[in-house]
Amino acid sequence: MSTPGPAAAPSAIGGPSDLRLVARQVRYEQLSFWRNRTGAIFTVIFSVVFLLLLGASAGSSRITFLGNIKLVQYYVPGFVAYGVMAACFSTLAISLVFRRETGLLKRLRLSPLPAWALLAAIFVSTLIVALVQIALLLAVGRLGFGVHLPSNLVAFALALLVGVFAFTALGVAMSTLIPTTEAAGPLTSIVFFVLLFLSGLWFPLQPGSTLARISAYFPIRHFIVAVFAPFNAHAGSPWAWHDLAVLALWGAAGCFVAARRWRWAPRGG
Amino acid sequence: MKATETAVGVQGLCKTYGATQAVNEVSFSVERGEVFALLGPNGAGKTTTIEILEGFRRRDAGRVEVLGVDPGERATQRWLRNRLGVVLQELAVEPFLSVRQVVSRNAGFYPAPRPVDEVLDLVGLSEKSDARVKTLSGGQQRRLDVGLGIVGNPELLFLDEPTTGLDPAGRRMSWDLVRSLAAEGTTVILTTHYMEEAEALADRVAIVARGVVVGSGAPDQIGGRDVGTATIRFRLANGVAASRLPLAVTAGDDGSLAVRTDDEVRALNTLTSWALQAGVDLVGLTVSRTTLEDVYLRLTGDAEGHDGGVGPQSTDTAGRVDDHDRAESRRAA
Repeated sequence: MSTPGPAAAPSAIGGPSDLRLVARQVRYEQLSFWRNRTGAIFTVIFSVVFLLLLGASAGSSRITFLGNIKLVQYYVPGFVAYGVMAACFSTLAISLVFRRETGLLKRLRLSPLPAWALLAAIFVSTLIVALVQIALLLAVGRLGFGVHLPSNLVAFALALLVGVFAFTALGVAMSTLIPTTEAAGPLTSIVFFVLLFLSGLWFPLQPGSTLARISAYFPIRHFIVAVFAPFNAHAGSPWAWHDLAVLALWGAAGCFVAARRWRWAPRGG
Repeated sequence: MKATETAVGVQGLCKTYGATQAVNEVSFSVERGEVFALLGPNGAGKTTTIEILEGFRRRDAGRVEVLGVDPGERATQRWLRNRLGVVLQELAVEPFLSVRQVVSRNAGFYPAPRPVDEVLDLVGLSEKSDARVKTLSGGQQRRLDVGLGIVGNPELLFLDEPTTGLDPAGRRMSWDLVRSLAAEGTTVILTTHYMEEAEALADRVAIVARGVVVGSGAPDQIGGRDVGTATIRFRLANGVAASRLPLAVTAGDDGSLAVRTDDEVRALNTLTSWALQAGVDLVGLTVSRTTLEDVYLRLTGDAEGHDGGVGPQSTDTAGRVDDHDRAESRRAA
C-alpha cells in the first residue's frame, strides 16, 4: 500500500486503455438493455408491431398529395424515424432519470471510469438499439409490404445521423427536466406521443394544413420528412436540407439545456 | 515512495447552499488505517463533507487533502479515484445484470482490482452470483453495493450509512467486513445514525450538527464519557416507599429509580448495605456511565439550540428518545 507521489503518477498509467473501457462498458450497457425485457420490447417490438398493423390496414391506399405513392411507403420511413426517436429520446431519457435518481450515475462518476467514457458508452449503446430497429423495420417494409428501400443511401445516412444527434441531445435534455423516476415514463411518453400525433406518424399530413403548420415548430415532423425524402426520390429531392437544418438547431438547443442542467446526483431525494 | 501518515486532512471546510450553511468551518484529520465515523442527525452536513472529500462536490473554503492530494484538483482526480472506494446512501446497483456481471464490470474500472470471487465471498453473495440484481432482497443489494465499494482494492473507503436497511445479521456481516478491511490497513470513513455502529467500529468519532463538529474523540472517551457521572438504576418491590432510601433518587415514568453520582463505589455501598439491612430487594440493579447516545443527544441538542426543531433534523433525534431512560437523561443534560 505504498502511495507514490501523485504528481509522479500521471492519471492514465496503470489503468486499462480508455477505448477498451468504452467497448467493455458498451457490452454491459447492451446486456443490461436486452435483459430488461419490458424496456427492450417497448422500444424495439413496439415500432415493428405498429408498422405491421398500420401497413396491413393501409392495404393498397395511396396518398394523392404525395405523388400518389402507396400509404405503406410513407409508413416505413415514418417508423424508421420513430425507431430512432424511441431509442434516442424516450428510452434514453427514462433510463437516464432512473440512473440519476437511483445513484447509479453518481456511483459511476466516483469510479475511475472517466465521465466521457461512460457517456460515450451510453450513446453508442443507444445507437446500436436504434440501428437494430432500423434494420428490422426495413426488413419488414421490404419483405412484408414490398416498399422501395432508400434510393439515396448517403442522404438516408445523413438524415439518420442528424436525427440521432438531435434526439439524443433532446433525450438527455428531457432527462434533466424530469425530477423523479416515477415521473419519467409518463412525462416522456406524453410529450413523445402528442408530438408524434401532431407530426403525422399515424397518417400523412396535408401540406399547409393546421397540423402541418403546428408540427413545423417541433423536431419530429422534420425528422420524418428528412427520412422520407431519400426513400421517395422520385417524388422530390432526397435531400431535405431545410428539415435537417431545423433538426440540427433542435439538437443544439438540446445540447445547451443538457449541458446547463446535467446532474450526476439524484434531484428528487 | 514515502507514504503520508495522514489519509485525510480537513481544515476550516465550508460549504453553503443558497442561504444554508451546510458545512461550517469543519476540521478533522484521519490517520492511515484508521476507522473514522461522522455521527450526526440528517442534514448535519455529513454527506456534503464526504462528497467534498470524494471530489464530487466543490467546497467554498478550507483546505482538504485526501491521500496527499486535493480532491477538487482535476489533474489528479483519476489517480485518486483508482484508490478510493465509495458506498453511497442510495442503493446504486444495476437491476438487470447478474451479481457477478456487476462486480466484474466495476472491477474493470480499476488498475488492480480485488478478484471477483473474493469480493462475492467477502460480502456473502457467492451463492447469489448468477442471480439478477433485481431479484435480491434489499439487504443483499446493500451488500452488493458494499462489494462494489471494495472491488477496486481501495486505500480509502467511504461508507455513507452503510448498514441502513440491513437486518441485524447483515449489519453484523458488514461490521466484520469493515473490521477485516481495517485490519488489512484500509482507511475507512463512515457516516452513521447508529451509535452502536460508531461504537463498534470507529477508532475515532466526530459528532456533527448543523454543519459544525460539536465533539470528537475516541467513542469511549468522547464528551467525557470515561469520567464524571454514573447512573445507578433499579426498582423497588411493591409497597416499599422510595422515601425510605438512604439516597436521593429520581423516579422514572415506568417506576424505575435512578441515582446519579460521581462516586458510584460509595453510593452502591450505601445503597446495598441499606437494602441488606432492611431486607429490601433492588430489582434489576445496573450501573452505567453516560452512553455515546447520551453524549450525542446532548451535543447535537445543544447545537440545535433546543428550539424544538422542525423538519428532518429533529425527526431523527426525536425518533431515538422514545425510550424513557434516554428522555430522562436528555432532560438532565
